[in-house]
Amino acid sequence: MDIITQENPTETTISLELRGRFDAHEADMFRAAVDQAIDNNNVQIRVDLANVEFVDSTALAELVRGMKRCREQRGDLVLVHPSDPVRVILELTKLDAAFDIV
Amino acid sequence: MNPTENADSPITSITSALVDANDQLLAMYALTEVTTDSLDGETAVREILQQAQTLLRADALILDEPEGLSVAVGTSDASERPVAKNSNSPLAPTTASVSVTNESGSQVNLTARRADQPFGTADHKLLTAVANMALGALHTSRLHREAIDQAVVARDHDTASQLAVRALPTWQPDMASVDLFARSDPARAAGGDLFTYAEVGDTLHFVVGDVSGKGLPAAMMMTNVISASLAAFHGSGHTGPAAVLSQIDSWLYEFLSDAGLFVTLVVGAFDQTTNRLRLANAGHSPVFWSADGAFELIEANVPPIGVLPLNVGPSIEEVVLDAHPAGRLVVASDGFSEQASPGGEMFGEERLVATLSANPHRSSGELGSLLYDEIETYADGAQQGDDRTVLILTIRDDAKQERADP
Repeated sequence: MDIITQENPTETTISLELRGRFDAHEADMFRAAVDQAIDNNNVQIRVDLANVEFVDSTALAELVRGMKRCREQRGDLVLVHPSDPVRVILELTKLDAAFDIV
Repeated sequence: MNPTENADSPITSITSALVDANDQLLAMYALTEVTTDSLDGETAVREILQQAQTLLRADALILDEPEGLSVAVGTSDASERPVAKNSNSPLAPTTASVSVTNESGSQVNLTARRADQPFGTADHKLLTAVANMALGALHTSRLHREAIDQAVVARDHDTASQLAVRALPTWQPDMASVDLFARSDPARAAGGDLFTYAEVGDTLHFVVGDVSGKGLPAAMMMTNVISASLAAFHGSGHTGPAAVLSQIDSWLYEFLSDAGLFVTLVVGAFDQTTNRLRLANAGHSPVFWSADGAFELIEANVPPIGVLPLNVGPSIEEVVLDAHPAGRLVVASDGFSEQASPGGEMFGEERLVATLSANPHRSSGELGSLLYDEIETYADGAQQGDDRTVLILTIRDDAKQERADP
């Protein structure tokens, strides 16, 4: 999986664009990116999932963890344009009710 | 000594040299015999230094690591070591020091002292060889220790995994109209998939779930979910599966949230007096139900436990299914649908439904075994990517007879 980071220096918003499979093998990389963003006070994280082919439960747990960390800091982790496979998983697990999805 | 010879005679000198040479040969032999497979690296290093002391005719040898071991022989106090410890430093006439480093970056400094004569080039080479041997002994000892530590961890991991797997029930409900099959194959020694069930009065309560993540951490959480489920069956089961789910959530939400995990969980209750099956589903998929041979997907209506507190989120709505005269519930985990073929294509839910639909008359056990055979055939040697769990609950009047006579 690739993570492309775009930071807006004038705001507390950061975009993480993910590409490829997002599973247990990639979870540590994603966690490090989220933790670094929050440590840098970027507590509004937009995770672009348009080019993600697959997510497993470990990846979903990382998204949930990031969302909770952001909300603890009065921010949020927003899912942007989830691909069809990701959207199906989010709907089946009812995680679409927990996330802000745009 | 022959009285006609004095101590400075050539014969005495030759004899003394031969004795010294013999002593050094013996010391060299002893040096090669020092065992380096001891767990105690310091003991091996001390033995090496003692033999090297003879070889070098040194009064003292001191070996130290920059931030670790310090061993001295020939002197009772390591603080008496010479000031010069670096081979690049100017040396006193009776002091020789070397510093050696291995490929992994470990370093030792070795210093020798003697009073009677300065150290020569050959002594420095021998000192370097001894330092390398001591460094090798320390490295071997530490590798040995690490291997043993890893073996202990692996053994504990296996034990914990076996205990986790034993939390899954193997008994059959004693209900005339219920035919139950449940099996979980973890991808590793233990996993986060779970199921459990209990009879309370005329009701069979059950849960099937999947803790996010894999391996022992997920398995440890899995056992907690099973314990909480069994307690909730007896505490809130009379109210229904939504109450059971809410009870489990109230007990485990903080625990799961702190651990960064969540659990998909479907909670069911089959009342054999009314033949009604009630379900509450927190993010679990797939859950299929068939009353007439055609399977429909039962969707979740709340997120998994650990994502949001269920008592402040969407209300938990139950699905009520009429199992008269018959019905079949199949709950699987994503390890089935996401199993990849050698070519990388996933098994998918469509194949799962096709197998279920094509075998309406098989008992739960037969159908479950068929599903596991199919997934193994489909994987065709490809690695099991995730835990695989299936619970099949077949309800019909003749189910008891089929179970007894498959």
